[in-house]
Amino acid sequence: MNYVLRRFGHAVLLLIGVSILSFLFSSLAPGNYFDEMRLSAQISQETVSALRTHYNLDRPLAWRYAHWLGSVARGDLGFSFAYNMPTAPLLWSRARNTLVLMVPATLIAWLLALPIGIWSAERRGKLPDVTVTLVSAALLVIPDLLLALGLLLVAVRTHIFPTGGMVSVGYRDLSWGRRLQDVVLHMALPVTVLVLSSLPTLVRHIRAAVADELETGFLRAARAHGIPRRMRLYRYALRAAANPLIALFGFSLGTLLSGSLMLEVVMSWPGLGPLLLEAILARDVYLVIGGVLLSTVFLVSGNLLADVLLYWADPRIRAERGPA
Amino acid sequence: MKATKPLLEACGVTVRHAVRRGFGARGQYIALDKVSLSICHGSTLALVGKSGSGKSTLALCLAGLERPTSGRIVFEGRDIASLRESELRLVRPRIQLIFQDPAAALNPRMTALEIVAEPLSLTRRMRRSELEDCTQLLLKRVGVSSGLAVRRPAELSGGQRQRLAIARALALEPKVVILDEALSALDCSVQAQITNLLLELQDILGIAYLFITHDMAMATHLADEIAVMDRGRIVEHGNTQNIVAYPRQEATRDLLAATPRILMPAGAI
Amino acid sequence: MNHERKLGFWLGALAALHVVIACAGFFAPYDPTVQNRERPYAPPQRLHWTDAQGKFHLLRPFVYAIRVKEGTFDEYKQDLSRPVHLRFLVLGARYKLLGMFPCRLHLFSTDGSPVFLMGSDAYGRDLYSRTLYGGQISVLAGLLAAGLALILGWTLGAAAGFFGGWADTLLMRTGELFLALPWLYLLFAARAFLPLSLSPWRTFFLIVVLVGAVGWARPARLIRGVVLSVRGRDYVRAARGFGATNFYLLRNHVLPETWSVMFTQAAILVPQYILAEVTLSFLGLGVAEPVPSWGNLLASLQQYNVLTSYWWMCLPGVAMVPFFLGYLVLTSALQQKANASKI
Repeated sequence: MNYVLRRFGHAVLLLIGVSILSFLFSSLAPGNYFDEMRLSAQISQETVSALRTHYNLDRPLAWRYAHWLGSVARGDLGFSFAYNMPTAPLLWSRARNTLVLMVPATLIAWLLALPIGIWSAERRGKLPDVTVTLVSAALLVIPDLLLALGLLLVAVRTHIFPTGGMVSVGYRDLSWGRRLQDVVLHMALPVTVLVLSSLPTLVRHIRAAVADELETGFLRAARAHGIPRRMRLYRYALRAAANPLIALFGFSLGTLLSGSLMLEVVMSWPGLGPLLLEAILARDVYLVIGGVLLSTVFLVSGNLLADVLLYWADPRIRAERGPA
Repeated sequence: MKATKPLLEACGVTVRHAVRRGFGARGQYIALDKVSLSICHGSTLALVGKSGSGKSTLALCLAGLERPTSGRIVFEGRDIASLRESELRLVRPRIQLIFQDPAAALNPRMTALEIVAEPLSLTRRMRRSELEDCTQLLLKRVGVSSGLAVRRPAELSGGQRQRLAIARALALEPKVVILDEALSALDCSVQAQITNLLLELQDILGIAYLFITHDMAMATHLADEIAVMDRGRIVEHGNTQNIVAYPRQEATRDLLAATPRILMPAGAI
Repeated sequence: MNHERKLGFWLGALAALHVVIACAGFFAPYDPTVQNRERPYAPPQRLHWTDAQGKFHLLRPFVYAIRVKEGTFDEYKQDLSRPVHLRFLVLGARYKLLGMFPCRLHLFSTDGSPVFLMGSDAYGRDLYSRTLYGGQISVLAGLLAAGLALILGWTLGAAAGFFGGWADTLLMRTGELFLALPWLYLLFAARAFLPLSLSPWRTFFLIVVLVGAVGWARPARLIRGVVLSVRGRDYVRAARGFGATNFYLLRNHVLPETWSVMFTQAAILVPQYILAEVTLSFLGLGVAEPVPSWGNLLASLQQYNVLTSYWWMCLPGVAMVPFFLGYLVLTSALQQKANASKI
């Protein structure tokens, strides 16, 4: 338990550090939201300055950070100038949509990668393994941008899948069942791209980890003892490979999040990605910081989950914290 | 035993390592506890003790590669533990350390010639040909044929590697050579060869040896004096014959008991 | 042996690709900014070797001139009576080879009507030429950014690993911060706070510095690991024992061990950073018109009608694939070599 608390504390510190870094960065920015306004002849200078003061943009950095921290504690993540509303509700709804893509994509990717990786590791060097390696190499060299565009093209030509967005027009009028079906149809392409782009690396690492374990002394001894293949695989090899694989999980989450950012923009999925892009182009400072922080929260939580899994799976970690 | 002023001595050397235990708590591990010993010119002192008794830490301190937490290390009358890094660097070549694992002590990417030449090329400005000649001489002295000079450590046997290590250590004409379990990783017959080489070199060059080992039999064979270490302290120190005949401390007795004795058949001498 | 030869072959192929891109001016028939307003969105033209009379021209392939169909603005029909021959090694528009040497020699070009091997874009610019020039920008960005990240990571990682202490702790904690953010989000956040509208060249350097500076953490961690493991080895201690300075130890014993890690990291990072530039430019945060980059060449595909009607606009993306393949093979070869030498 101590271990989990430590990791949690570490995660919180990380988030604070990231928020400080973002704030520092934002202070270096040579412009802000109201600069655009300043260029407009219709808005007077006084109004602009008044707006700036109203939003506390002329206060020193430390003050702004403290103020922002305070509001975070109350659940308010700053104010969006472009949308003229607090950022929190905007961020939550978009974040939820991003999760709708990320969670199934992660699950499917791992559910596919594990059996393929294990199957490939058992037949190392033989035809199935070589095929898997070649196919994943082929997938690896196609950038996900291209994959996304390609699939979109296919969607347009075949009219099976919708070509963008999360819901169809008239969503509200549908029954619950239909609504689910609608979302799933819209999800299909983005999730496919996410899965396809992360599959090669996952398969490769899983294969390497399991193959390494299969060749160790204790696995060979198990075989000599006559322990059946399935038990050898699941009880021994996978357990031993759990450590690097769980670390891989945390890492793959980061790449999936990055992938989803661009994917959401290309496929017009209303997630954090397009919101962040808009905010950047509009110089909507608090929205940018909020978006970046939220993505960090996801990644850090994912890693924390991985740490907890590791603690549960690897007795060596538990033993480390033993007699203090 | 030569009754001269000591060449290298440790006076009340204590080494404490900071250890992190658990969450935040910090403990101290005492590796050496007020250790004192001295080595005289041309003599051989054996430091015997079981694993973890602090022998290697003492070796590092004596060689100037680790600074003790307190105490003095006196070499030729100067306290090297208090010297600045730049001054210490000039003293270090005179106290050489030979390690237990010859494979780890040699850079696997360098050839034998380069390894032995390294100390020379570092500290002296020599022409290439001079350097090669010196190195070949050193190799000959330790019994490594010149044909092996272009090989890398991976292509040499354990005994040959240790000879290289010795040649390298001798390159800068040290006064003291500390052998930290230097023979433990070798086969018995190779051990005997290297031992003989070391004794030969001592006769010719007049080097003092600090021979660190856990093997009492080897210590008695090589050394004039024995010091016994246990858990960071020197528990017994004296003439070899006295220690072997009248061991006073339990640690000494344990070490003596552990040495294998070859029983000679009755009637053989 | 076979291994070495395979590696050599792939390295050569990859180098050849880079040479083609570097000499874009030579391999491209036209300047990338030249517009042909009367031929927007022309599809890729097919090369023919046998003409209408059945004559086979081996060394003089040709295309048929195209003209916009009446009543449309982007549908073309071929004028079979006007073959336009390709001429090889001709003098054409001026360009600067490698950005430095003024030159006029092109691998091929045409007299009269332009040839669109990969089609044309909204302004009638030859996509093939633009892809080649765009490759210069994107690949160069990737190479420079990777170089920067590696230099930063190597310096900081080696210093942290070798000297340890508070510098090491500080470095590792800061690196963790950088690694805590999903990579692209970090890049975007950093990009967000920098001037948005700069000249294309300024933007280019800006994103090179950005991508490189943001990516120091992972190489630094790897190098630190290597340096830590070497630092504790006996032969380093022995070298210290005969009076070696820290600088000597770093240069002669520690750093040679880091080369293989550096090369492998380079092979991994370059394609990643090429993709980073492409993504940024695609979304409008990178190199902007009129300077072509693979990213902004693909940007028009964000419009639905372009995606559906003009499929050839995807081709610059396809041009990336051989590069990535080359780097992938290079990476796995380097990794195999590193594993082999560990034993």
